[in-house]
Amino acid sequence: MSFEPKILGIACNWCTYTGADLAGTTRLQYPQNIRVVRVMCSSRINPSFIFRAFQLGADGVLIGGCHPGDCHYNTGNLYARRRLAVTKKILEFSGMEPGRFRVEWISASEGNRFAEVVREFTEQIRDLGPQTKFKISQ
Amino acid sequence: MSQTVTPYLEMSQAIMEAGGEALKKCYQCGTCSGTCPWTPITHFNIRKLVRYGQLGLDGIEDFMWGCSTCRFCVERCPRGVEIIDIVTAIRNVYSGGGMLPQSLRAFVGSLSARGNPWSGDPDRRNDWAKEKYPVYAPGMDYLFWTCCTVCYDPRNTRLAKAAAEILNLAGASWGMPSLDVNCCGESLRKVGDAELFERLKAKNLDYFKAQGVSKIITVSPHCLASFDEDYGADFEVVHLSELMAKWIQEGKLVPKKDFGGLTVTYHDPCYLGRHSKVYDAPRDILKALPGVTFVEMERNSEESMCCGGGGGGLWTEKAKGERLSDLRIEEAMGTGATVLATACPYCITMFEDSKRTLNVDEQIQIRDVTELVLESLEISIDEPVGDACAV
Amino acid sequence: MSRIGVFVCHCGLNIAKTVRVSELAEFAATLPDVVVAKDYKFMCSTPGQEMIANDIKEHRLDRVIVTACSPLMHEQTFRKVLAASGLNQYLLSIVNIREQVSWVTHDIDEGTAKAKALLNGAVRRARLLAPLTSRVIDVNSDVLVVGGGIAGIQAALELANTGKKVYLVEKNSTIGGHMAQFDKTFPTLDCSACILTPKMDSVLQHKNIQLMTSCEVSEVKGFVGNFDITIRQKARYVDHTKCNACLACTEKCPGKGVSEWDEGLVKRKAIYIPFPQAVPQKPVIDRDACTFFKKGKCRLCEKVCEQKAIDFEQQDTFTTVKVGAVIVATGYDLMDTRSLIQYGYGKYPGVYNALEVERLFNSAGPTGGKVTLRDGKEPQAIAILHCIGSRDKNNYEHCSRVCCMYSLKFAHLFKEKTSADVYQFYIDMRAAGKGYEEFYNRIIEEDVKFIRGKGARVAQSADEPDRLVVEAEDTITGKFIKLPVDMVVLSPAIIPRGDAKDVARLFNLSTDKYGFFMERHPKLAPLSTMSEGVFIAGVCQSPKDIPDTVAQAYGAAAEALTIVVKDKLELEATTAMVNPASCCACQNCVRVCPYGAPFFNETKGVSEINEALCKGCGLCASVCPPSAIIARHFTNDQVLAEMEGLLEF
Repeated sequence: MSFEPKILGIACNWCTYTGADLAGTTRLQYPQNIRVVRVMCSSRINPSFIFRAFQLGADGVLIGGCHPGDCHYNTGNLYARRRLAVTKKILEFSGMEPGRFRVEWISASEGNRFAEVVREFTEQIRDLGPQTKFKISQ
Repeated sequence: MSQTVTPYLEMSQAIMEAGGEALKKCYQCGTCSGTCPWTPITHFNIRKLVRYGQLGLDGIEDFMWGCSTCRFCVERCPRGVEIIDIVTAIRNVYSGGGMLPQSLRAFVGSLSARGNPWSGDPDRRNDWAKEKYPVYAPGMDYLFWTCCTVCYDPRNTRLAKAAAEILNLAGASWGMPSLDVNCCGESLRKVGDAELFERLKAKNLDYFKAQGVSKIITVSPHCLASFDEDYGADFEVVHLSELMAKWIQEGKLVPKKDFGGLTVTYHDPCYLGRHSKVYDAPRDILKALPGVTFVEMERNSEESMCCGGGGGGLWTEKAKGERLSDLRIEEAMGTGATVLATACPYCITMFEDSKRTLNVDEQIQIRDVTELVLESLEISIDEPVGDACAV
Repeated sequence: MSRIGVFVCHCGLNIAKTVRVSELAEFAATLPDVVVAKDYKFMCSTPGQEMIANDIKEHRLDRVIVTACSPLMHEQTFRKVLAASGLNQYLLSIVNIREQVSWVTHDIDEGTAKAKALLNGAVRRARLLAPLTSRVIDVNSDVLVVGGGIAGIQAALELANTGKKVYLVEKNSTIGGHMAQFDKTFPTLDCSACILTPKMDSVLQHKNIQLMTSCEVSEVKGFVGNFDITIRQKARYVDHTKCNACLACTEKCPGKGVSEWDEGLVKRKAIYIPFPQAVPQKPVIDRDACTFFKKGKCRLCEKVCEQKAIDFEQQDTFTTVKVGAVIVATGYDLMDTRSLIQYGYGKYPGVYNALEVERLFNSAGPTGGKVTLRDGKEPQAIAILHCIGSRDKNNYEHCSRVCCMYSLKFAHLFKEKTSADVYQFYIDMRAAGKGYEEFYNRIIEEDVKFIRGKGARVAQSADEPDRLVVEAEDTITGKFIKLPVDMVVLSPAIIPRGDAKDVARLFNLSTDKYGFFMERHPKLAPLSTMSEGVFIAGVCQSPKDIPDTVAQAYGAAAEALTIVVKDKLELEATTAMVNPASCCACQNCVRVCPYGAPFFNETKGVSEINEALCKGCGLCASVCPPSAIIARHFTNDQVLAEMEGLLEF
């Protein structure tokens, strides 16, 4: 059987989650490897969530928030942006392939963009193969 | 033609599969045909061609060759339809069915047999250079890509030499291709022969790879656009006009000759302008020439008129009254210019032809910007023109 | 041990087509703590809701999972079911298997597998959910309306008539908006001013409306029910409390400014009222045009003003108002068509945009209602070009919706006011609206020529240099048309106001790709926004005609009323709280919160959170080093448990 990656998405309620809903409403097709957790704001995302996801066997993690400057909570995603940039560095430092972690700003009107990013990211993870670096075998 | 038709969707499907996917987007608003320079003067109608393609209808054989792929319609299309892809696909589907017009058969035949459209001897491709100029070797900065037209067409070998001299004067590290290359295939692709195009492209790519070519200079905007759009390889391509503009600005080339009030206008080649978005470099050059008065034609830059030479037009015979190059020369003369400058060997060929048939040899000269730069550097290519002609 | 009920919705075939719903319910039954799992055709229907309510009682459920559409769609519906069954409404979890599963795949195996994973995550999370108590707050009963066009006017009047106090903020010196610029309105051709000015006057007279012209909202604080809005009153240099609108000043003023009202076609005075029916009828000074401000002397207006109302020292002032709800109705601009060089707008004097032509028809306009060109001559032939910049991927892809109809109106008025031949260059005629097709038929019979082909180019005529030539293909005959005309009217794309981005930022609105404000749901919540308590009406949402705009204004007023009619409002309980035992007193939370909700309690030496200010984003929770802050309903444990569940399959 071909490798079917597991991708964890964490999306903010106001932009990316709504954008993902819009992708559905407009019946855009994208691979089903992504499973999205909804949080209210991308700033809610604690870096430990991301490390934990990789431990749990996620092959890729995709974070989605509002475009910088358009945060529903004014400045939340600006904090998220900085924090996630550092998270990415730590991941890379600890040997994770950089391609497995991605942060995207997708607004509520960008259903197209959501589908496109998921398609792209899934392909990328598929090429990278299973993630073993952090995974804790059950 | 019968008035009753049934849509033939298999044909439409074939066109889409040949790259004309954009057929689906068109809503027939007529912006393309209203913009197309051919609509007012010929029976070619680009909107109709697309419409026939959408329904897979017959009856386009006699006008599908009219498009010169000038890209004016594509730039204006409100639906973002890549109309040239549709034209190419339609021609591909039809020429596969043996519908190639007579005039283009020689062109395709020569490309197939000799790797250039001018029926030139492939071994004499570099004869124009008279062994004066270096052949590319690994480690050089630039490959100076000599378009078939500047290698074989007697008028345009002057352009090849001018370019080579300028490259030397600017102190560039460059070489021309060996005999292991063939035509870039740009016009051939637009004529619809995708298979032969791939063959030509593969041979060139092999050469580029073997020689480790990373930067290419072209004099023909057609080669430029083809390398850029159709080759999909990671080398840098630049048109000589861009480099000359830069060198003049940097002081590497210093125009000296006073042209004494010569009035020059500039025709944007479609493949340099709309296809490659180079509008300023040739103008900057002309404005830097001492004693040149630069004037614009009404249709310039993004709105420039086509000469008719693209998309196979150079090899197709057009009746008097149906030649864009004639209209363009008239427009140029209307500005009071005595020199029509351009930056494309196809445009030069078209205009030289029109100049003769319009009988305006005395009133206007056709010059490539490169030739004017060389003249301003007070260098002349003293060999008699036509010497290197191998046709 | 919790007792979880899982309810899988088919949504007709919307879900059932690409997710095997009964298999999903069977799967749910195998998950820990799940005591009942069912699937049903329409879970949101009354029988569906009753089924959930019954099962809560029968199986003594303490957690409910509804596996259906997006939580943004029906979370509130199902929360009510829980509340009615005596279960805390926050013990509900929604699994989104429609928008994010069944609608985005064609493959039933993939769909089912993903649905299972999502459901597994929801079960894990549900076990950790805690009951929460909603906060109840007092509601301010006043409403702010931003924008004094027809939408804002109508919304303000409706609300004021119910007895609510309304602040109507308008950035220009008069209300009326674009509608006040029009001469006639389609398809009835009734006079725009005749139907609008009485409404403008009612606004001014209404005891419940505080009209704030030359004003802009500069800051928005607070939340639904309790907004604090700071409004900047721009300096008018005329004290309107003293001015008695004699307008002697405008007669004497030597300054010249560009008349925005007449779309720049004429000059106006530096101290001016924009047009005779302006509301309020009191002048303002245009600083950039005023001789005194430019050269330091003049003050003629001051000399003639018997009321001593002129005040060159006036500064911008700021006031803060408290309101419970907001209606944003900021309207539109026309695209600047100078960038479309092929149409020659701004280059040839004979090329006009639609709003300029509206002013030419208007008897209060620059020509007194006569259709003349800039050189004073009457045009002999006129071309109206549709879809300029709209329905155009290179500019704006959307249809501007009203251009077909106003172009027909123009044609009629040209026929009425001139002897010119009138041509319409169109792609498709769109006449969907009450009486619109009939209007189209009427104009056809008025001998207007319709050319089916988009205008491709406007150029100067080679033969007659003072005329223009329109080039296009008549796609019906396939002929290339070169039409000599004297006047070209462009129907440009209708686009959001230039400052729409700023307004969106102030009120936390989302915008679509063109910059129009986004509604909460395209069908079912067209006037609500993602910001609770902020509503939108009119063209700021998308291009629309006057009847639709007015209808939206009524709707937005009703929406605002549903908030301000109440004394108390229940707010989401999903706020953050501090566990004082773990707090390390670093005060990160205090520094990052955009709302100032966390504060440091010096006596206790720990941070605390003012829940009235907290909006529940969870930012503080993720910057808290010892995880002392708990983001209710999105706690670390809950999120991690959900992730674990999602990644298990």
